[in-house]
Amino acid sequence: MRRFYLPVAIGVMVLAFWLRAEVQEIAAGVAIFLFGMLMLEDGFKLLSGGALERVLQRATGSVSRALAFGAFSTTLLQSSSLVSVITISFLSAGLISLMGGIGVIFGANIGTTTGAWLVAGFGLKVNIASYAMPMLAVSIILVFQKSKPLQGIGYALGGLGFLFLGIHHMKEGFDAFQDQIDLTRFALSGIAGLVVYTLLGTVATVIMQSSHATMVLIITALASGQITYENALALAIGANIGTTITAIIGSLGANFQGKRLAVAHLIFNTATAAIALAFIAPLAHTVDWVSASLGIASDDYALKLAVFHTIFNTLGVVLMLPLLRQLVTFLERRIIEPLPTVSQPHFLNDAVEDFPETLESALRNEVSHLYGNAEELILHGLNLHRHQLYDTDDVEDLVRRSRRPTDLDIGERYEQRIKTLYAAIVDYASRAGARRYDPDVIDRIYVLRNVATNIVQAIKSVKHLRKNVLRYTSHPDGTVTEIYNDLRIEIARIMVEIHKLSLTDPEERSALWLEQESAQIEEDARSTTQRIDALIRNEKLNPVAATSFLNDSGYAYDAMRELIAAARNFYVERDSALAEVERLLALDEEELEAAAQTPGATLPEPPTHKRNMGVTNET
Amino acid sequence: MMGIKKLAAKVADYQDRLERGQASKIKPAHVSEVLKKLRKKEAELQADLTDTNKHDKRDRLTRKITIAREHISRAEWLLEQLS
Repeated sequence: MRRFYLPVAIGVMVLAFWLRAEVQEIAAGVAIFLFGMLMLEDGFKLLSGGALERVLQRATGSVSRALAFGAFSTTLLQSSSLVSVITISFLSAGLISLMGGIGVIFGANIGTTTGAWLVAGFGLKVNIASYAMPMLAVSIILVFQKSKPLQGIGYALGGLGFLFLGIHHMKEGFDAFQDQIDLTRFALSGIAGLVVYTLLGTVATVIMQSSHATMVLIITALASGQITYENALALAIGANIGTTITAIIGSLGANFQGKRLAVAHLIFNTATAAIALAFIAPLAHTVDWVSASLGIASDDYALKLAVFHTIFNTLGVVLMLPLLRQLVTFLERRIIEPLPTVSQPHFLNDAVEDFPETLESALRNEVSHLYGNAEELILHGLNLHRHQLYDTDDVEDLVRRSRRPTDLDIGERYEQRIKTLYAAIVDYASRAGARRYDPDVIDRIYVLRNVATNIVQAIKSVKHLRKNVLRYTSHPDGTVTEIYNDLRIEIARIMVEIHKLSLTDPEERSALWLEQESAQIEEDARSTTQRIDALIRNEKLNPVAATSFLNDSGYAYDAMRELIAAARNFYVERDSALAEVERLLALDEEELEAAAQTPGATLPEPPTHKRNMGVTNET
Repeated sequence: MMGIKKLAAKVADYQDRLERGQASKIKPAHVSEVLKKLRKKEAELQADLTDTNKHDKRDRLTRKITIAREHISRAEWLLEQLS
């Protein structure tokens, strides 16, 4: 289903564009708005860790402060929608807590009532879109500054500018639909009238992207006698639900915390609306009483509407505040935090530390876990894939055909998949050294720690190699592609041999087998240097490319040596007497080099025809 | 077999450690077990060599067999010393 989602969505959009030209402007408005959200979030991330974080933490440190902050900022900006989307950005950037965020939203609902007073009392409406252009112009200058706080301010300002611009375009696009809203068409009395006008207020606010605009519409309709006072109250209640749409759109580009806040906003405003509708008659009486106390004429419906707006929003906050913790718990249960992308230790924990054998076993398993992650990272770093490599009969052919670059940021993936595991292994192994364990167990634990270090070093070598692997092996480029492919093939063969060893029954395998690979690595390293010398002499490789390659081949052979060292220590005999035999039989570097250059004396002749059975891996 | 002197020195070092209680005692059965694994690998490499025509692969297999045989010779020598 997922693969059809994108073409279907684009198809529907194109069709809508063709049917109604206004839809283009609405869709572009949504796109600009979401782009603004992303930019705003990036800006706040750049600003995090400094003054902004401290100010926000202080401003939202308690529910009462968060309420005051929300009310004040909404009064200042005259847009609860804008405050809610900025709060979503804060929350997504990890600058404030969910509890603090909800407090701000509650406060924004109180702050937004000042707008109703301005509209009703003075007919004022702050046009935030007029600020968009200067904000964008100023922001771009800041974005190009070297200072991170200035860049952060630039991104945040630009994000805000795009939010304003997006809202403006959405409104413009909806203008065509606004003319079709004829409030008298829905004139109904009683509960049905309340429900219909509430829905109408919601739809009108979604369309106009502003509860202020809906208030203007309601007051105008009320003044011209198109609707009754009760209808106007229901419309104002609906506007409160409709205003949450901006936060919902904003949460589309936000993380799970942003989504939780948008849902909290919707729940709060819908619950407040439901309570207001249920108690509409006593509320209307209260409005009359308060209005009379404030000296508002009984037929000044515009100001009475502002009184109603203030009372019902404040009432909503008062009623919902005691349920704040339950609301947070509900949101945390319903909108689950995604599993961390960072690999966590599977086997090491405080419980295994008390027993040396348990710790050794846990460390062994964790090192194996680390190698699994490293294996994937190294092969992806070389644009190869495990399942293809371990299934092939011809490594050389597979590597030469594997040209498509893998989507990999090796530094980022190291942080996510390796660093935490390696840190845990080093931590537990080092702590074991301070305990009164059997010295043999401690030795074995230190060997496992060294295996982890070998693995990490191999990854770091491949990281150095990756840049030129991408540069030279993605497209055929003659000799230089050939020599880089040969390096990839050699590393791939080492990985295959280690994989084969891991699959062999422990009773039948010997870590000594890996000395054959060590000898091959040294022979390959020696012949590669000779080959490069010859290529330079014959002018088939320019000296600059040759120097880069020699550096890279150094990294490649280091990676291979580290991998073999890791495997040798990991697969060393567990039985101490057998391990002693292996140590005695092992060849030192000098002996390996000598053996590698002395091919066997009596070896069988190659077959005269190709066999079609007993196919073995071309490694 | 190459490096016989080095191997003999390693065995002497092992015996010193054994006397000090710092090494596990090796019995002929232990060497035979390792020898069995080494012979198994050599046989596999020989079979691969028989099956391949590729020149560079034959070179690599030949080199591996040389190392395998060196290990086998050492193990046989060690077994003789222990028997």
